[in-house]
Amino acid sequence: MKRTDIKAVLRFLGIMLMSEGGLMSLCLVPAWHFADGTAGSTAVCSAFTLAVGCLLWYRHQRYTQIDDRRMSYLLVVLLWLVLSLFATLPFLTTGATWSFTEAWFEAMSGVTSTGATVFPDVAALPSSVLLWRSMTQWFGGFGIVLLVLALTPRLGINKYSLYTAEASGADNTGKTAVRTVVTVRRTLAVYLVLTLAFIVALWASGMQLWDAVNLTFTNISSGGFSVNSDSIASITPLQQYILATAMLLSGVNFTLLYLIFTLRWKQIGHKLDQLRFYLLLCLLAVAFVVATLHWHSGYSWSDALRLGTVQTVSALTTTGSVVADCTQWWTPAVFVLLILSVCGGMAGSTSGGMKVMRVLILLRNARSIMRNRLHPRVVNPVRLNGRPVSSHIINNVMVIFMVYGFTLMLGVMVLMLCGVNATESIGAAVGCLTGYGPGLGASGGFGSYAAFSPAAMWFCSLLMLLGRLECMTVIVLFLPRFWRK
Amino acid sequence: MKGNKEDTPVVQEESVGKGAGSSYRPVTPCHSLSLPVTPKTINFRLVARLSGMLLLVMAMAMALPLAVSLHRGDGAQYGLLLSGLVLTAIGLLLRNIVGRNVSYELRERESFWITSVAWLVVPLAGALPYLFTGVLGTFTDAAFEAMSGFTTTGSSVVERPEEIPAGMLVWRAITQWIGGLGLILFIVAMLKRLNKGSLQLYSAEFSGTQQRKLHPHIAKSVSRMWRIYSLITLILLALLVLAGNGVLDSFCLALSTVSTGGFMTAQYGLSGYSELTLSILTVFMFLSGVNVALLYNLFTFRWRQLRINHEFVLYAGIFLFASASCAVAFLAVGNGVGESVRYSLFHIASTISTCGFYTDAPAVWPFWVSAVTFMLVLVGASAGSTGGGLKLRRLMTLFIYLRNYLTRMVHPNVVFAVKIDHRVVPGDYVNKIFGFAFLYICFIIGGAFLLTFSGQSISEAFCYAAANISNLGPSPLINSMGANLDYALLPPLAKWTLMTLMLAGRLEIFALLAIVSPSYWRRR
Repeated sequence: MKRTDIKAVLRFLGIMLMSEGGLMSLCLVPAWHFADGTAGSTAVCSAFTLAVGCLLWYRHQRYTQIDDRRMSYLLVVLLWLVLSLFATLPFLTTGATWSFTEAWFEAMSGVTSTGATVFPDVAALPSSVLLWRSMTQWFGGFGIVLLVLALTPRLGINKYSLYTAEASGADNTGKTAVRTVVTVRRTLAVYLVLTLAFIVALWASGMQLWDAVNLTFTNISSGGFSVNSDSIASITPLQQYILATAMLLSGVNFTLLYLIFTLRWKQIGHKLDQLRFYLLLCLLAVAFVVATLHWHSGYSWSDALRLGTVQTVSALTTTGSVVADCTQWWTPAVFVLLILSVCGGMAGSTSGGMKVMRVLILLRNARSIMRNRLHPRVVNPVRLNGRPVSSHIINNVMVIFMVYGFTLMLGVMVLMLCGVNATESIGAAVGCLTGYGPGLGASGGFGSYAAFSPAAMWFCSLLMLLGRLECMTVIVLFLPRFWRK
Repeated sequence: MKGNKEDTPVVQEESVGKGAGSSYRPVTPCHSLSLPVTPKTINFRLVARLSGMLLLVMAMAMALPLAVSLHRGDGAQYGLLLSGLVLTAIGLLLRNIVGRNVSYELRERESFWITSVAWLVVPLAGALPYLFTGVLGTFTDAAFEAMSGFTTTGSSVVERPEEIPAGMLVWRAITQWIGGLGLILFIVAMLKRLNKGSLQLYSAEFSGTQQRKLHPHIAKSVSRMWRIYSLITLILLALLVLAGNGVLDSFCLALSTVSTGGFMTAQYGLSGYSELTLSILTVFMFLSGVNVALLYNLFTFRWRQLRINHEFVLYAGIFLFASASCAVAFLAVGNGVGESVRYSLFHIASTISTCGFYTDAPAVWPFWVSAVTFMLVLVGASAGSTGGGLKLRRLMTLFIYLRNYLTRMVHPNVVFAVKIDHRVVPGDYVNKIFGFAFLYICFIIGGAFLLTFSGQSISEAFCYAAANISNLGPSPLINSMGANLDYALLPPLAKWTLMTLMLAGRLEIFALLAIVSPSYWRRR
């Protein structure tokens, strides 16, 4: 690891910290407007973050090139850690919490757009902190898309992972722009347009601007924080459906959204497989959940449809907004929600989980293997969007699946060792690893993770990081060979 | 192990698929093209004949419990006799009338059929005695008990085994023993004439483990496996009797242990047995999780095989590490030294071999033991053993691949092969293992989902599903997770779900899925 690489990493961190500080300063607006006495501390935090960022950037601004691949992995992990570290400042200085563990948990949950909260009563928090929570999710949600699109080609991950097919997915047509800069710009445009559109839509449907901004930020990033203690349960049905649409869109690949918005129908064909599977999964799950709500839990059809749809979409896109205390629903429905959040949305979106594309590849591969056993001489490759997927990519998807499953299992075990009961640790492990947020039991529904022990909280925040970076980027750091010269 | 090609037409290095070095494989662009050898229809008469033979074997196997019942006069003799006669009649019908003059040509499709039909017919046949003797009241219960026996799971719906007729205890034990090596190995051993197709049969049941066979001739290698299996059973039986247990108990326990089944003869597990008995059982449970082929080498004094078999080394290592850590955990929460060590060894051997015996645990149960148990249940025993689970050999492949993957993330141009026991595992083979692991997890998830319909909580549902797909059965795992162990109280839906899981676990999924897949039925 060369010194220049380290300096380049520091420079990059500096830039990110400056952006974070800039966003933090926006929290001054509600602090002044609602005059809840947090303006001073918010200003200090923001200034400090900006200063550190500026310093890092200024000292190392000449170093732009990262040559060593290992540094890139390190950078990605450091990025999330450092952003979370500075994101804890507003929580600690405004008196939202005095415990660093809790602040760290909340910050990590925000930056990874997980949406698990340690605050039992969110409504009691100062407005600047509320906006900061939403902001971290919005920032983090975009960050991951950016990372996937812009950084992975440099990381060389693309050579070995799904992202060859994914990050450059639209580029495979050969006609759209190949360069990542363009892709990033487009993605940013889509993200901003969506955010604005949903703020306006919610506002037009009669919501306060404050709520509209916060809820849009957290739902378009598939985060799931809320400014109300009952998440999104008390807003009108129309507004809930609007948010469900926002969540559904947040689970769609952003390049695909761009193509749809600009009406480039011909190029969409190359991604239809995933979109179809995503929508099919969503439809089936909604149908099942709505049916159980009506027939088993005794809701009226309209309520069942509303609650079932919103909650299922929230689970599939790993948003984690809660529309009803779903831990009280019939167990099979809860089970479906859990499994959906493990599936996650489409790759290249803000959602977490395994990503439906991987699930699709896994399923098709299983089918292909079975056919192969029946007719050993027949060649039947796994196809995605009409093109065969190389066995290399399939095996890598398999590896990620195995590691994901193993991490989940380990997560449940460790949480149980920390003294959380069995069902709740399954819920918390799934919630944190996939980025869904709420777990089962006390941490599920409208509840919070406040009752978790510090050890469990630290572990949960590790799970969030692992889940957001899809495990491998973090795990590779633990390889002895990684640190060898 | 060195077969020469002239006299051994079926010799192949791996039991699944065709790896590197197999004969020329015509590559066709897609499956719409017809192939040189196109099976028109499935040879159902052969399937019928083999099923008939299996039923006759079942009927013969009922002779022993019948004799015990007659000797003891416990009232089960009429039921056993009746079911024996029914099976003989059906068996003769299938074998001599439906299946006369069949051609013994086997292709992939027939072998899957035979495997699946055998595994459906035999448990149903095995359920008859439970029904006819009135030990179990409903068909679901009887089928559950029989399926659990033949798949060597050992989950029991008999609430008080000590109160049922001795003949039925013997029958329960025998079902496990037959299922231990696999029904198909039974067929293969019976039919020397099947040599040509027996490899396919063999691989349909013993999928995805890439074993060297004991003998180039599949039938000979299978008969060696049966011999070693019987030998170990006899040794264990003798030891148990010498340790002062009753002959009936010893017989049932020996069969349960060697087959890694797990049916026990008393309601509260093995708590009534002496320390000596439990120690003997610990050793034999450990052994029954070892590859049968390796045991053959062990008993014929080919020690070197042990050392170069990395799976065995890993198996032993995991066993020792898990036992040691559990013993420490038991000690740490304040149990006695002897008790902790003995119980840990017993418990880990029972879990890793997926035998599933349990006995009185030390007073305080540390959580660590539950965590280790849960992991081991999914890992399972060695490939080619009578145990269940994902199998160590597969996991080794997965982990080696994972290590290579991580290294490639750092050094993208390095090329690795997955090597086990100094032999390269071919790439498509790794892919098969991954596919298997994926389906295995899908089955656990699907099973757990269905179990939640009958009122299990999510964590209970996962425990039940994992314990039954890995053929562990009466698991201390479920107890330690705070759930109720009672299979008898489960509703029918849950029982059928668990039966499917047991079967999927025992058949290693593919054979089960194969016959329900549309492409299996498509005529080409």
